[in-house]
Amino acid sequence: MIRFEKVSKTYPGPGKPALDNVSIDIEKGEFVFLVGTSGSGKSTALRLVLRESRPSSGRVYVAGKEVNRLAGWKVPRLRRQIGTVFQDFRLLQNKTVSENVAFALQVIGKSRSEIDKVVPGTLEMVGLEGKGDRLPTELSGGEQQRVAIARAFVNRPMILIADEPTGNLDPTTSAGIMKLLGRINETGTTVLMATHDEHVVDQMQKRVIELDHGVITRDEARGGYGSQVV
Amino acid sequence: MQLRHSFTELRQGLRRNVSMHIAVVLTLFVSLTLVGLGAMLNQQAVKAADQWGSELQITVYLCRDGDDNPACLSEVTDPQKQQIASVVEDSPEVADWYTETKAQAFEKVKELFGPERFEGPDAALTADDMAESVWITLEDPDEYEGITSALRGLPGVARIQDLRDVVGPILSSIDALKYGAIGTAAFLVLAALLLVANTIRLAALARRKEIGIMRLVGASTLYIALPFLMEALVTAFLGVALAAGALAAFLKFGIIDRAAQGLTFMPWIGWDEYYVTLIGIGILGPVLTLLPTLLLTRKYIKV
Repeated sequence: MIRFEKVSKTYPGPGKPALDNVSIDIEKGEFVFLVGTSGSGKSTALRLVLRESRPSSGRVYVAGKEVNRLAGWKVPRLRRQIGTVFQDFRLLQNKTVSENVAFALQVIGKSRSEIDKVVPGTLEMVGLEGKGDRLPTELSGGEQQRVAIARAFVNRPMILIADEPTGNLDPTTSAGIMKLLGRINETGTTVLMATHDEHVVDQMQKRVIELDHGVITRDEARGGYGSQVV
Repeated sequence: MQLRHSFTELRQGLRRNVSMHIAVVLTLFVSLTLVGLGAMLNQQAVKAADQWGSELQITVYLCRDGDDNPACLSEVTDPQKQQIASVVEDSPEVADWYTETKAQAFEKVKELFGPERFEGPDAALTADDMAESVWITLEDPDEYEGITSALRGLPGVARIQDLRDVVGPILSSIDALKYGAIGTAAFLVLAALLLVANTIRLAALARRKEIGIMRLVGASTLYIALPFLMEALVTAFLGVALAAGALAAFLKFGIIDRAAQGLTFMPWIGWDEYYVTLIGIGILGPVLTLLPTLLLTRKYIKV
């Protein structure tokens, strides 16, 4: 589903490359944690999957397509197959929960009737039934992240990318979010999550890829946050 | 493509940035009016030059009884007329010529000022007060020195009138106005472009979060840019509409009701020329707003 072939990424200016000859192969339906310290290259890897930037060398494949060779006008189509969740939720504060979720469908041209059919079900799935009319400011951090996940998942993407989704949440709320991501993964969606959250990685016991200064130092099928296999 | 969101964004965008949009509309209005004015004056100059260029005539007025010219001792005689005719006939500069009798000249005057003042016992003028004249059309409007110097001083010639002496200053004034309007318009067009660019930058900044989300969920560049493009079209439409109104008022009250009534010998522009100008500013207005919008949306909302 996601494949990096000897990918390097160097940003302008002096310093080491953000990614250095990285090769990763993630199968359809896998749940993968991308761990490492700040500056290890996690976010760069996610940006390459989303075609927010292009590799300096090597190839990135997403859903069978080489994304760095994708024409600009085809990029939106690629992104419709990828849901994205961030640490800071990125919700539109002037829109209600339902409107935030519906927005993702609206802007890709889905019909009103289709939106009305899909949004309530998605809100129910993420545990926000009955809260569709609330504004994001009326919700807790965990609930806001659930809205962001609903928005990312409402189009039923093949891949869900999560960049530090529990970074702003307490351990209990984080556990709820991880449970939700686990359920999404069970529907067949491939989940790639960059995180610093030791606790959730240890608890989930999924595949862990560790990056250090742009180089893969560990790729374990069922691992924890640290180097030890739990 | 579902356009509901684009129209909602358009409404919000226009409301959020209302002062900037008013500035753009007013600048567009003034610059398009000046461009239109320049275009209409240009058409006026071309129209006048076309008529006078092809029909440029020299009129030789012959002596009449009691003429102001002291060289005219009496009414022009037949031998004098024959001599004048042979000079005109032999001149290589002359393409065509004809004589106008006193009666023909009188008819012209009656036609111009209305016949009622020239009839009955208290008539302001009679045919006898008119001068006979020779109307000469030149081969080349610029080659007139030979024929005028040959005729000047000839017995029976009262005065020679070159239409360019009358028309020249009017054409120069039209030209000066035209260049003034186009020159000022050029500065204002630049101001309009910069204002549009600034408006787009502010709007993109105000919507950066939404735009970021739209990019992430896979909205196409066109879909993201559509509200900006529609805003540009709305401001262009308002600017063009105001300029069209101002130009129509200029044509109606300045040209048709005033200049064309006062200077009847000139061919004046009318609604046909106005429509041509309207098409011009109708294209220029949207280009002025869409061009910076397209360039800047590529920069600010690149997918």
